[in-house]
Formats: sequence, structure tokens, C-alpha cells
Amino acid sequence: MPIVVEKLNHAYMEGSTLAHDALKDVTLTIGDGEFLGLIGHTGSGKSTFVQHLNGLLQPTSGSVTVDGFDMADKKQRVQGRRLVGMVFQYPEYQLFEETVAKDVAFGVKNMGVPEAEAMARADEAMALVGLAPERFRDKSPFELSGGEKRRAALAGIIVMRPKYLVLDEPMAGLDPLGRRDILDTIDHLRATLGCAVVMVSHSMDDMADRAERVAVLSAGTLLRVGSTAEIFGDAKFLLENGLDVPQVSRLALALRARGVALPETIYAMDEMELALCNLLGKGAEI
Amino acid sequence: MIEIDNISYSYEDSGRAALSGVTLSIKKGEFLAVVGHNGSGKSTLAKHLNALLLPTEGTVRVAGMDTKDEANTLPIRQKVGMVFQNPDNQLVTTVVEEDVAFGPENLGVPGAEIRTRVDAALAAVGMEEYAARAPHMLSGGQKQRIAIAGMLAMEPEVLVLDEATAMLDPRGRREILAIVSKLHREKGITVVMITQYMEEATVADRVAVMADGTLLLTGTPREVFMQTELLRAHRLDVPAMTELKERLNAHGASLPDDILTVEDMADAICRSLLKN
Repeated sequence: MPIVVEKLNHAYMEGSTLAHDALKDVTLTIGDGEFLGLIGHTGSGKSTFVQHLNGLLQPTSGSVTVDGFDMADKKQRVQGRRLVGMVFQYPEYQLFEETVAKDVAFGVKNMGVPEAEAMARADEAMALVGLAPERFRDKSPFELSGGEKRRAALAGIIVMRPKYLVLDEPMAGLDPLGRRDILDTIDHLRATLGCAVVMVSHSMDDMADRAERVAVLSAGTLLRVGSTAEIFGDAKFLLENGLDVPQVSRLALALRARGVALPETIYAMDEMELALCNLLGKGAEI
Repeated sequence: MIEIDNISYSYEDSGRAALSGVTLSIKKGEFLAVVGHNGSGKSTLAKHLNALLLPTEGTVRVAGMDTKDEANTLPIRQKVGMVFQNPDNQLVTTVVEEDVAFGPENLGVPGAEIRTRVDAALAAVGMEEYAARAPHMLSGGQKQRIAIAGMLAMEPEVLVLDEATAMLDPRGRREILAIVSKLHREKGITVVMITQYMEEATVADRVAVMADGTLLLTGTPREVFMQTELLRAHRLDVPAMTELKERLNAHGASLPDDILTVEDMADAICRSLLKN
């Protein structure tokens, strides 16, 4: 069963002079196990949208159901919320416990899971995000490096075994290798747990590399949703809407502007490598 | 302008040196980018440039003044303005122009001159229209522009940006990069830009690469980004076009080694096609 968002509207400070429509008639379904990327400018409504997925915000009109649970209904929201794990920007700022294991186990303990089971699940979650439990369990979260802290925060969500993992800018502030590590971890979680991933990011290269489907928000409206190839294959559309495109898409545009015959929809490094090898007459060597 | 001579630094409660044996000379009017992995020491280095941190060993001199001498602290901070990562931590008042005036007021600059400086600083970052607005209503990129204006109003000779674009979206990053390039080009301000983004570093005159607290190498962006193996060995990426060039050359293409930007790559491919 999916997350179904129907005709979602959200207005901030409704009725005041500062009233502002943050989301307008957004309809979108998030399927089991998929990797959906969410792109758009700051202020396009991405964060407002994801906060509806676990009922942190309530629609002004329209509806959000998570596996059939209506998130507008108080009782159903409790059940729906258990299925959706939210990882906010800079989640490491929310670490607070004495040890990494206690921090990771905090959420499940709150759900009423007995101590011993909670700690066992914390170990499992730490292993899943690449923090060896025997090494990290008893460390203070504040001794960890930036990348490790972020993994610990991610483990604190994973431990609740969400069916949908929602991540808001999970790579912000990390160096290039740290970014790749987090993306690999997300892929690994999806492969082993079968959870769906909804990721908000400004990094088009990362999005093009990992997402299966991409939704484009602009000024609160869902501008377009389609396969990663459909969205990034149309670099012109993204640029016209003031969004960044992957470097490879920029190269494709620059080459076509110089009269080089390249297929319209190249956006991935591997495809570009292949296309250029063919063009340069080195195709035989691949 | 700034002479960093064999400095080392350790944070109090950590056994490991955050910087060890760094020597670097920053010339007047240059645009230097400093890149490095998380924990490489690049922010620690930045904080030595205006005496926010003092070296455990070695010396830092700004226009000849030793940062260790307390009498120099204020004059050094007037010469070297610093913009930090988080746009929300740097604005202190409720009106944009008051925020920009905050620095010169503290320096005891006369009222009439403050007015002139504030107007000029806001114009330099393209934010004149926002003079009477509330800072907290601005976007991240606009906030960082106000933070830069606040520094400019103190008429510094050096502007240090410590990952000032890290928390911004691509549009905000482009805004800041454009403003900083313009200040460097038109006003001759010396710029030191600490960044995580290799593509940002390509616009600098010179790039310094930090790794594990040491200075790994310096050179023009082309010289530095040609060292792909060395960069990868130190947890750094190379620009996407440099990587593509490597891959194509591995298949037998003969593209030049110093390809850095999309334009470089497009030109090189067109030349290669003409030859065939």
C-alpha cells in the first residue's frame, strides 16, 4: 500500500495579511520501495510537503493517507506515523544521549519496546548504517566525526523500521566522500529493508545518480513528476525553471549548441561516456 | 598580505593536531580557494587569519602584525572580515541596515560616514532595496549577502568565507559566488574562500588543498585538479568533467589533461571530432 497525497493544499498563517499558500493542489502517490527524489528551489514547498507525510503538518484542504491511514484523523495518524521515518536537515544536532546506543534506541524505547529488545535493535540499526556496534555502542555521540554523527542520527530512525524513509537534504555540509557514503548507506538500507525513500536534495548530480523517479516543485505547485530519465533528460525545462542540472546535462547542451549530434536525453556519466566514445570512434574499445 | 609560517594548532581537549606545520603566503588582491575533506583543518586555518584562533606553534602575520600580540587583534580584525557558514547566526539586529552598521558603529566611525559606508556596502552586494527590511524574512543567500555587507562596511582588505555557501541552495550559492568574484575583480579585495565544492574552487586564482591538518598542495585550479589520484587518495572529488576526461582517455581518446569546466570539455571534443 502506498502513501497517497490528494489535492493537498497548505496555507501558512491563514486569515492574516501574511497568509501564504505553500502548497497548491499537490497530488502524488509514493509507491512501496521506490526511490523518489524531490527537487525545487528554497521556498518551493518541499519541506512543507514532506512534513505532511508523517502528519507533522495538517492539510488546509485535501488529504494524505499512509497505507490507508488518514493522517487527518488523530488515532489513524498514530499508526500512519509509525510507518514514516523522518530525517531532518543536520539531524546530528538532535543527538543528546550519553552513548550512541542509547541515542539510537531512544525512539523505540518511547514506543514501549522493552529495554533489552530496544538495545538489540539499536545494534542492528547501527550495523545497517555502517557503525560497527562493538566499536561505537558505548561512545559519546559527541566524540564522533560529522559523517558518523549523521549515521548515528539515521540509525535512530531506522531502528523504528519505517516503511517509508523521508530524508531532507541528508548530505548537506558533508565532503564529497561523506556524501557518497551517505548515499551508499541509503541505497543499502533500501535494498536490505525494502523501504521506500523520499529524498529532498539540491544536488542534481546525486539525484540523477540515485533516484528512480523525480518530482519537481515550484512555488507550491507540482510542476512535473516522472522517471529520472524523463526529468533530467529535459535539461532545458529545468534550466527554464531556474533549477540546476547535472554537469553531464550541461555538457550535452553545450555540445548540441556546437552542432554535435547527441541524443537529447543524456544526463548520466556512463551514458555520456558511451555516446562520446562512439562519436570519437573509440566504441570498439568499450 | 598574510604570512602563515609553519603553524600548528591543537584543540584543547583533543590529542590530535588540527593543523601541523602549515606554511602559506596569501598575496594582496588574490582569490584563494581552500578545499579539503571534513576535518582536514581548513576551517581551523581560516580562524587563524583574523586571530580568532592563535597558533600553538609558528606565527601568523597580517600586514606584518603578529596575531599573537593582543594589541594587534583589533586592527587585524578590521583588515580581515570573516563570513561563516550559518546565515542565521551572524545577523544581530531586526533591520538590515542596522545590521550592516553594527560593525562600523563599534569601531567608532562617525555617523555621517557610517551612512555612506552602509549604502555603499548594500549596493556592493545588490541589497539596497532591502535596507529597511527585517533580516529574518530574507532567504539564506540574501542573509549571507547582508553578512558580507556587514563586513564590507568595516572596509576590510581581506574577506574570508568559511564555507559561507554550505547551507545555501544552488541559487544562493551562485549569488554569493557572483558577489564575491565581483568584489575581488572590481574592488581588488583579497578573498580566501573555504569550500566543500570543487566546482566553486575552479573560479579562484589559486587553490590550496588541506588534508589531515597539513597543506597538501597549492596551484592554479588546473594544476591542482589535474592531480586526480592524489585528490581521491585524500577523500576529495575531482570536477565531473575532469572525471569524464579520464574515462574517455582510458578508452583511447586523447583529450588534454587540464580540462576543468563544461566549456573546456565541449571545446576539446569539437577539436577532437574535427581531427578525425
